Amino acid sequence: MGSVLLPSTYGFPKQIPSPSLYSITRQEESIVVVGEKPKVSPISPSRPPKQRGRAMPSIWRPSRQADYDCFSSATPIVIDNGGSAFRIGWAGELDPRVTFRNVVQRPRHKTTGETVTIVGDHDPALMKYFDYTRTSHRSAFDSNVVYQFEIMEYVLDYGFERLGANDLQVDHPILMTECVCNPISSRSKMAELLFETYGVPSIAFGIDSAFSYKFNQQHGICTEDGLAVCAGVTTSHVIPFVKGEPVLEACCRTNIGGYHVTDYLKQLLSLKYPYHMSSITWEKAEELKMEHCYVALDYASELQLFQKGKKEAEEKTRSWQLPWVPPPQEEAPSEEELARKAALKEKQGQRLRDMAAAKRSIRISEMENELHGLKDLLQQLGQVEETEISSILSKTGYDSRQEIESAIQKITQSLRKAKGEPNETEERIDASLAEKYPLTNVPDDMLTPEQLKEKRKQTFLKTTSEGRLRAKQKRFEEESMREKQNQQEEEKRLENPELYLEKLHARYRELSEKVEQRKRLKTNGARTNGNQNLSGGVGRGERLNAAQKERMRLLTTAAFDRGKGEDTFGARDEDWQLYKLMSKDNDDEDNGQEEDEAELARVTARLQSEIQRTVPCSFAAGMASQSLIWLASLYTRDLTSFMVWIILQHPKDWLDIDPTFVAKSDMVPLQGTPELPRFRPLTAEDFQIVIGVERFRCPEILFQPNMVGVDQAGLDEMVGVSLRRLSTVDDAVKDRISNSILVTGGSSLFPGLVPRLEAGIMQIRPYLSPLKVVRASDPILDAWRGAATYAASSHFATQTFSMQDYYEKGEAWLRQYHIQYTL
Amino acid sequence: MEPEVVNSEMLLPPVLPFKRVQMSDKYPKGHARGRHWKHLKQILQAENYASYPADEPNYLNIETPPSIYPSKKFCDITGYEALYIDPRTNLRYANPDVFKRIRMLPDDHVQRYLALRNAAVVLK
Repeated sequence: MGSVLLPSTYGFPKQIPSPSLYSITRQEESIVVVGEKPKVSPISPSRPPKQRGRAMPSIWRPSRQADYDCFSSATPIVIDNGGSAFRIGWAGELDPRVTFRNVVQRPRHKTTGETVTIVGDHDPALMKYFDYTRTSHRSAFDSNVVYQFEIMEYVLDYGFERLGANDLQVDHPILMTECVCNPISSRSKMAELLFETYGVPSIAFGIDSAFSYKFNQQHGICTEDGLAVCAGVTTSHVIPFVKGEPVLEACCRTNIGGYHVTDYLKQLLSLKYPYHMSSITWEKAEELKMEHCYVALDYASELQLFQKGKKEAEEKTRSWQLPWVPPPQEEAPSEEELARKAALKEKQGQRLRDMAAAKRSIRISEMENELHGLKDLLQQLGQVEETEISSILSKTGYDSRQEIESAIQKITQSLRKAKGEPNETEERIDASLAEKYPLTNVPDDMLTPEQLKEKRKQTFLKTTSEGRLRAKQKRFEEESMREKQNQQEEEKRLENPELYLEKLHARYRELSEKVEQRKRLKTNGARTNGNQNLSGGVGRGERLNAAQKERMRLLTTAAFDRGKGEDTFGARDEDWQLYKLMSKDNDDEDNGQEEDEAELARVTARLQSEIQRTVPCSFAAGMASQSLIWLASLYTRDLTSFMVWIILQHPKDWLDIDPTFVAKSDMVPLQGTPELPRFRPLTAEDFQIVIGVERFRCPEILFQPNMVGVDQAGLDEMVGVSLRRLSTVDDAVKDRISNSILVTGGSSLFPGLVPRLEAGIMQIRPYLSPLKVVRASDPILDAWRGAATYAASSHFATQTFSMQDYYEKGEAWLRQYHIQYTL
Repeated sequence: MEPEVVNSEMLLPPVLPFKRVQMSDKYPKGHARGRHWKHLKQILQAENYASYPADEPNYLNIETPPSIYPSKKFCDITGYEALYIDPRTNLRYANPDVFKRIRMLPDDHVQRYLALRNAAVVLK
């Protein structure tokens, strides 16, 4: 028995050995560097192989034991009811028969609809049959005290069932572990549950870390005077032992443990990589913690190492590759392909051009024919008598000579257009404005009614053509001005690029603020809170925007100002003008706004082109929006904030870019043209979770609980506190005690914890006083093993109490109940 | 039930022979049970430790006191030793680069960082 349990068998590498590279595959997750796997020693086939060491038994289901009947009813059942795992087995055996995670899930079975109970972990492949939406893992523990006895009952049910219990009751004495100074109500409820529901004959309660210490004492790892440092799941304890018995008056507890370490790691990583948050599950964090976390011997210097970016720090950094599929890459078309495409395009273009030319020539010839015909007709008309004209005209469909003439003119004009000759009409209009509209300048009273009508028509035509001319001129002027401006700016840029960029940024900010403010004013914040009122209706307490306010005002004035008592609205025509007013966007400074917006668009475009200039060519090459959009679709988040995140991750690559600008780039497309700034392609590195400082930062909270806001002393100081509280013993005993410090509990498995603890305690103890810190032979299982050894002793029966005892002596007695650990 | 589920023996049987009181009798279906348990805080309150002698160890008085050393300040983001505190977010930071990052952090991230060391703003 002893030989199997030597520390060497169970020990873990104190430092993770030099990294061995593990190839990164693209499809599957992998840890780049993996430490040495803990050794597996064959002890009992019924135990999960993964349980040993730092790997958790994730999906291991214990099988039902068949030999329950072989044990006499005097053989105690030993239960280690720990915060992380529930272990149950027989007294005197080496290992617990059944071990599972101390959690319960109550999902709904999908097909039958009944709520089922699942204790411990289970195969995730079977999850599809259950509906987990309303449940999660539930534990019976609040901190390290059992408080939900319904869940405890499920756990016990499962434990006894797996152990093979098949009688009408569990007819074996029970030894169960509990926390130090367990509140009496919790202890009595547990006793009640065991007595009344399972019919247990007798019970004993003991402290898990004390059993662990006693077990190691039996194997000579520690002595009868000593100290147990137990780093558990939710709490850590230090319990001094004098003459083999724990001194509870001197023990102390800090509410921090492995749970907090995992939680801290998970939170830190998901804050560091918000876009991979979904990949960082609790289970994964637990795995990372067990594989890669270690305790730094000197936290400050270890931090310095990382802060200065030394080579050692790089070697200590691990990265976890998330599954990553490279975005679809467009291959650059070969030259042949390009040439082929160009030729094809050219050919198609030529064909279209030919077709158009053919069509045009047909049209021209048609029109020429028509013109010819009409001219002939005109000639004919000139030759014949006045009386015959009407008969000829009736054949052609024209009414008069003038009509034919105007038709000829029309055709000539369109013919000229078709042939591509310059249209002289506009210039002619310009020149002959006065003669073309002769009536416009004649006073009205000199004209006949018919002429008056003609005059009105002419005036209209004249003003429109004038307007057209003016607009044309204005366009031309604007164009030339813009060109000039562009030229000036280009000069400025070439003169002093940095200053120019700075100015551009400033201008951008100023403008965008201005435009946004105006928008805000107009909508009066209606849009900022997100619940935009689409119906336009205004409920109580909702603010009106400027347009709505004006509308309200107009309506009320219409209702009240007129009539004085009776509603005369609509009696006069002007009343209806009100609606025109209402529908009009009565923003007087629209012009200024438009100008600003145009200017903003221009500045934005310039800035974008600047960015394209400043981004290194290697990034600009190839990839752009596509992979980003692809990625955004992966995460269903918006594009821009992912860009910001990428930039935050790689600040060096983006030095020249103002991230606030990039973040706002979504407002650019409003004004049209500028294309998306080119981003560097995403690489596998963007899908790597790098764990550097976190490796020792997270376990450090065991020594500095202040880091996570727990205002209590850490493990090393706890030893000092405990020794201080031992007021009754003299210094010689204290020296003996500090020469036998045993570290146990799941969190003591961190590499480097023992040396760190030793260093920490050395500072507290007097100079040159003896000090020895050892790790328990198996920090996880020792508590159960110690308890099993204890329960196998022939004197165990003296430490138990029965249901009768419990009900006769009452709670006050149960409060005083403490077992003797030395039998 | 699917054969896979039955074979895996993952479900706890509703009736167990070794129990005197079955779960379904204790907690009958369809009965609203309410909350029949106390949180640790309430348990400890009910324990009434004040009425017992002060030197008797109990769950509360075995707690470790705060450290006698002044607590070190570490950067909330990087974990390095923090020399500065950002007055706007109250985050501790190690160097100007981190400060830039802090200023670009969204507010909920700031609060989550603060919550890590129990310093977040809690609205009551």
